[in-house]
Amino acid sequence: MTTVHEKQDVALTAHLLRRAGFGATPDELDHYMGMSYEDAVEELLAKKASVDIPHDLIRRYHVEQSDLRNGQAAGAHWVFRMVNTDAVLNEKMCLFWHRIFATAATKLIQARMVTNQVDMFREYGMGSFRDLLIQLSRDPAMLMWLDNQDNHMDSINENYGREILELFSMGVGNYTEEDIKECSRAFTGWRVVNPDYMSIKMRNNTARPYGYIAWQFEYDDEDHDHEDKTFLGETGDFNGEDVVDIICRQPATARFIARHLYHFFVADELPVPQWPHFDPIDPEAIEIMSQAYFDSGYDISAMLRAMFNSDFFKSEASRFARIKSPAEMVVGTLRLAGPTDLPSTDTYAAAGACAAMGQGLLNPPSVEGWQGGSEWINTGAYVQRVNFASRVLNDPDKPGIRDMIDRIAERSGGQPMSPEQVVDACLDILGPLPVVESTRAGLIDYASKWGDMSFPDPDTDRHIVTLIQLIVTTQEYQTA
Amino acid sequence: MGEGWGEGEYPMTTQTKFQLKPVTTVGFVADQGGRGFHLPTDFVIRSDGRIFVASRSNTTALDIVGIQMATIDHEFFGQIGGYGSAPGQMIWPSALAMDRDENLYLGDDFLQRITVYDREGKVQTTWGTKGTADGEFDGVSGLLFDQDDNMLLVDHRNHRIQKLTKDGQFLDKWGSHGDGDGQFNLPWGITQAPDGHIYVADWRNDRIQKFTSDGEFVAKFGTSGDGDGQFNRPSGLAVDSEGNMYVADWMNQRIQVLDPEGGFIQKIRGNAILGAWAVEYLEANADELEARSKFVPIFDTDTEDPGETSARIEPYFWDPIRVALDDQERVYILETGRHRFQVYEKA
Repeated sequence: MTTVHEKQDVALTAHLLRRAGFGATPDELDHYMGMSYEDAVEELLAKKASVDIPHDLIRRYHVEQSDLRNGQAAGAHWVFRMVNTDAVLNEKMCLFWHRIFATAATKLIQARMVTNQVDMFREYGMGSFRDLLIQLSRDPAMLMWLDNQDNHMDSINENYGREILELFSMGVGNYTEEDIKECSRAFTGWRVVNPDYMSIKMRNNTARPYGYIAWQFEYDDEDHDHEDKTFLGETGDFNGEDVVDIICRQPATARFIARHLYHFFVADELPVPQWPHFDPIDPEAIEIMSQAYFDSGYDISAMLRAMFNSDFFKSEASRFARIKSPAEMVVGTLRLAGPTDLPSTDTYAAAGACAAMGQGLLNPPSVEGWQGGSEWINTGAYVQRVNFASRVLNDPDKPGIRDMIDRIAERSGGQPMSPEQVVDACLDILGPLPVVESTRAGLIDYASKWGDMSFPDPDTDRHIVTLIQLIVTTQEYQTA
Repeated sequence: MGEGWGEGEYPMTTQTKFQLKPVTTVGFVADQGGRGFHLPTDFVIRSDGRIFVASRSNTTALDIVGIQMATIDHEFFGQIGGYGSAPGQMIWPSALAMDRDENLYLGDDFLQRITVYDREGKVQTTWGTKGTADGEFDGVSGLLFDQDDNMLLVDHRNHRIQKLTKDGQFLDKWGSHGDGDGQFNLPWGITQAPDGHIYVADWRNDRIQKFTSDGEFVAKFGTSGDGDGQFNRPSGLAVDSEGNMYVADWMNQRIQVLDPEGGFIQKIRGNAILGAWAVEYLEANADELEARSKFVPIFDTDTEDPGETSARIEPYFWDPIRVALDDQERVYILETGRHRFQVYEKA
């Protein structure tokens, strides 16, 4: 018999996996319930992207995922990885940085470059923020996205110099216009190989004659401004790395990243443009994470550890308080259905569904990314969400659904289950998902027409699938 | 154009017997239609030199799904078929072959069927059933007409080769899932040497297998890796009259030439030049032509990944998928990622 204490543990671990992952499948929940909460946090932090993603099969069957030129292919490519990985926090952090360092394939023409940027997030996104900012500043997609190939010693382009301060590290109000100019001067000469030809191919949106050519970072010392610069109060012949060092030392940087982490993992904050004018929801939480940032030498995982182990994260009030992003909802639903076999068009449909719900992967609407929160939900998007989830969870023979049915059957102890028992079992296995009583009553009322349900029975299988499809239409399923 | 290779500039390795040197490059990305190919997956050369190229294309350029026709002299004759599931159409074109009467056979991995076109490109028939029984298949990935004019079909998800009549009647089969002699793991390309032996690119076993014309195992070549004579997912090959093998070493992004005993002769990373269609395009687009005058196509990359390197270096092979020889035994190499084929000859 499950004790109250165990139920609380399950609810807390499920909360952790909704935030640090894409929601728990029953197998995942079993796995993480086999250890302490703190150990679960450590395992999630330690797991890196699996090497067993079958790139060979993906490229053989989906040839356009080899050149990764068009956005649909690149979106499907990422969805496959998110659905099949066991390093869920690593993937969530890719989504996190993709939302902050928002770079869109539309301008860049070749989605491959944004995919490569996400690969970089996968490698650097949970380590030193300094290393990450250096990699971001060298990232070919970012260089072309924010025009740094036009940032020259004798004529600076301030686009990247501005955004690294405003959107990527410190936030408005913590630097001057002069700092932006000096920052830009430090990044002169940071460009891609063959900048002229690559720029014109991008501007003309042409793959001709032989397809796109992927970009590579190049530093041109002859085009770098070696004169002294004064940046955030410090003076020297700064290059890009020096500027990043200075940025990382700023308390504003720690607070800015902490607030973003809070916004993504704990509770929906105000839209980012309003941050300079309003205090964070939980200033103490921001302070705890900022302290972890400095104590660890700018380590993102240390901030995550502090956050996941904190009372503000674990609290009852924070559970189901965030609206799932389209990617979280879509990927979590696909993970419930079970692993993706190849070849498969499901990943394309999933990437398309994300876009239809307002989150086109690799294609954020602007450099400010997605605001998220309540903006994810409108009538059209809600219908898309419900239809997608119902469509995916439609077949008792999908391995994830079969597993859920088998687990419910095991609970029956060989005895028929009442409609109420089956509804509760479904709610439990899908979360556990605490729906409001009127919703639960409605589900039981609907299920009562089937009477008691026995196992194994194909009719029971179909009834459970129907109940799962109804449950994923609830408001509660759309929250994390 | 000022681009291309100079005397002796193409990659040479140990001097054994002979080396391949580049002849020309034919192709152009036809992602917006017109002359060229888009993400091609297979090709076949007819006796008169006409080349049929199956373009898989992608979801945003479905008009280009079809079989384009060209020659080594940069002639272009348009397209057979189109995207769809009606007779003559295709979704995932995966394999091409030509019978003795020069009818064209297309395998479609999505529709799980064979489509037959006559010499004029008119649809003759369509057949095929997904399954594991004799005569059924799951994922046609290679097609060949043997010297008896029977079809050899690489039934790759069933890990076997089937011998069928031209209209799909079952005759024979060999192979099963595994890595033993005569077994396969998702085989891909198939070819027959002039001496009658059958060779199969045993893709996920990273080797080439050689059989008699009746499917008796004869030999295997290669192990997993990127060293000389090793493979990373070989996808296709051709064999010349002396028994030398020209292997598309797909994930190593190179062509390897092996002698009849499997001894290493040469590896080629690619030496594409601007073919006639590319030159014409650039001459009509002055801004790109001017920018290209400062373009350095080959540079040191900061990645160890051969596929990513191919994405950055335009003259290199990018997903070399199939190899075929013409009647002069010139070596044609089709590249999915660069929408072209490079042609080499012995020197």
